[in-house]
Amino acid sequence: MTHTIRTRMLSKSYRSADVVSNVEMTVKRGEIYGFLGPNGAGKSTVMKMLLGLVQPTGGEIELFGEKLIIGRNEHLKRIGHLIETPVFYDRMTARENLELHAEYMGYHSKGAIDEALRMVHLVGTDRKPVKQFSLGMKQRLAIARAISTRPELLLLDEPINGLDPEGIQSMRLLFRRLRDEWGTSILVSSHLLSEIEQIADTIGVINEGRLLREVSLDDVRTSTTAFVEISTPNAALAAYVLTEKLGLDQFKQIDDHTLRVYDTRVPQESLSKMLILNDVSIESINRRHHSLEEYFFDMIKGGDDHAAPGQTGA
Amino acid sequence: MLHLVKLELKKGGLRGYILGALIAYAAIAGLLMLMYFVKDEPTGSTFKNQADMLSAVNTLVGATFIVYASALLSKLVISEFKDRTMTLLFAYPVSRKQLIFAKLSIVFVWCFVAIVLGNVLLDALMLTVNHFVGDLASDLSATNLVHQFGHVILQTIGAAGMSLLPLVIGLPRRSVAATIVSSIFIVAIVSSNNAGFSLSSIIAIPLALAAIGIIGAYLSFRNIDQIDVA
Repeated sequence: MTHTIRTRMLSKSYRSADVVSNVEMTVKRGEIYGFLGPNGAGKSTVMKMLLGLVQPTGGEIELFGEKLIIGRNEHLKRIGHLIETPVFYDRMTARENLELHAEYMGYHSKGAIDEALRMVHLVGTDRKPVKQFSLGMKQRLAIARAISTRPELLLLDEPINGLDPEGIQSMRLLFRRLRDEWGTSILVSSHLLSEIEQIADTIGVINEGRLLREVSLDDVRTSTTAFVEISTPNAALAAYVLTEKLGLDQFKQIDDHTLRVYDTRVPQESLSKMLILNDVSIESINRRHHSLEEYFFDMIKGGDDHAAPGQTGA
Repeated sequence: MLHLVKLELKKGGLRGYILGALIAYAAIAGLLMLMYFVKDEPTGSTFKNQADMLSAVNTLVGATFIVYASALLSKLVISEFKDRTMTLLFAYPVSRKQLIFAKLSIVFVWCFVAIVLGNVLLDALMLTVNHFVGDLASDLSATNLVHQFGHVILQTIGAAGMSLLPLVIGLPRRSVAATIVSSIFIVAIVSSNNAGFSLSSIIAIPLALAAIGIIGAYLSFRNIDQIDVA
């Protein structure tokens, strides 16, 4: 079993509105999968379907290599989750809430609750009723609850909400630690790329209920974020030279004066040398970074026009 | 199953319900005393005889705890939906039907025990008071008492079943208010005493309503595995 989550043509519609359509996502075992999309894109709905809280209207879900069947719920033992806002029995203390959780999950391991509270830095407040907690504390407690049963899969919906910068930093470290030490697969959603680009191994971009693309972050970084931009009076001629003399195809003519070369294996010197040898004058030549932000923004806007690796989603 | 009931009780706040039940008993006792001692001169005592007195006890206790059960129902079922803690419960490796069944059986059993206990305590109190003050003729033989006890048990089953009826009204609206108000309506219709006659005295009526309550609760949760929560 190499996949923790796999969905096929997963869809959900309410009356006539399609909230999620034909999502095909794959979360590999032991990876952090960043689920990126604007608010209302369908991230929460997908997560709720994975948990069985919402029934799909089409497609199927496979968790831990087994197809999900209505009424069967043993697999829920292996999942920790935080969906939307954290909910608790407010009048009970933090510890009582976690104890109750462990009872329902059928997970009995001494010290697990202490360990979880330590991991989210909530030691010392566990005897307070949850209703006295701030939103940030509730958020951390919800994460403690999710990890207290040592799940193989964590579903975290916007887990960074309400946390201060220090808290955000420590959550990032925590998620990496869970992946590396426990081998936990983590599906974490966010509407901010900056939140997940630092921790995710794979990013799935969802917009208007459709999974636009699923890419390994390493691939995105190495092959699409850097390019060489050439300014020249005659871009068409330059393009001809690049194709014919250098055999390049990963470049794009932005306008009459600008070319972008995405094939970074070719050294900048060879580019300029070849262009000059062929009488193409160069006004400037620069190595630049196309930010990840731009990359994903383009994708969501539908301006998915430059060559990028990775399989296309639905 | 028993484990689930235990976990429900662990969520707390139920000690308050027991205390509340004791206060309700005291309030009913006070009301009965007023009815017993304050006399309306032309017509004499409020109670015609001892059996009449015991049936008043039964009506008051039943009515009180049907409303009380609706508060419990609100806490255990309606509020869990409203506060979205039900999404937690439904994401546990536990059968949803068993989860709901545990909750409803707590309400049913609690209602049943509270009414039977209330009848026993308050009957004993009123009979003792009457024994010493001696206003009402003692028309209760041992067979009468057994008969009365059987009647109370049937009435109580009826009341406990009826106590689930407000769920059918409150649940689709996720409304605590609708749940409690509907229980008051049910009590007002079934238990109101009109010149010594109430609908609940025809035993078929509370039993039929109880059946409707139980079937209604079953239908409300029949598709619980397929519904979307939150």
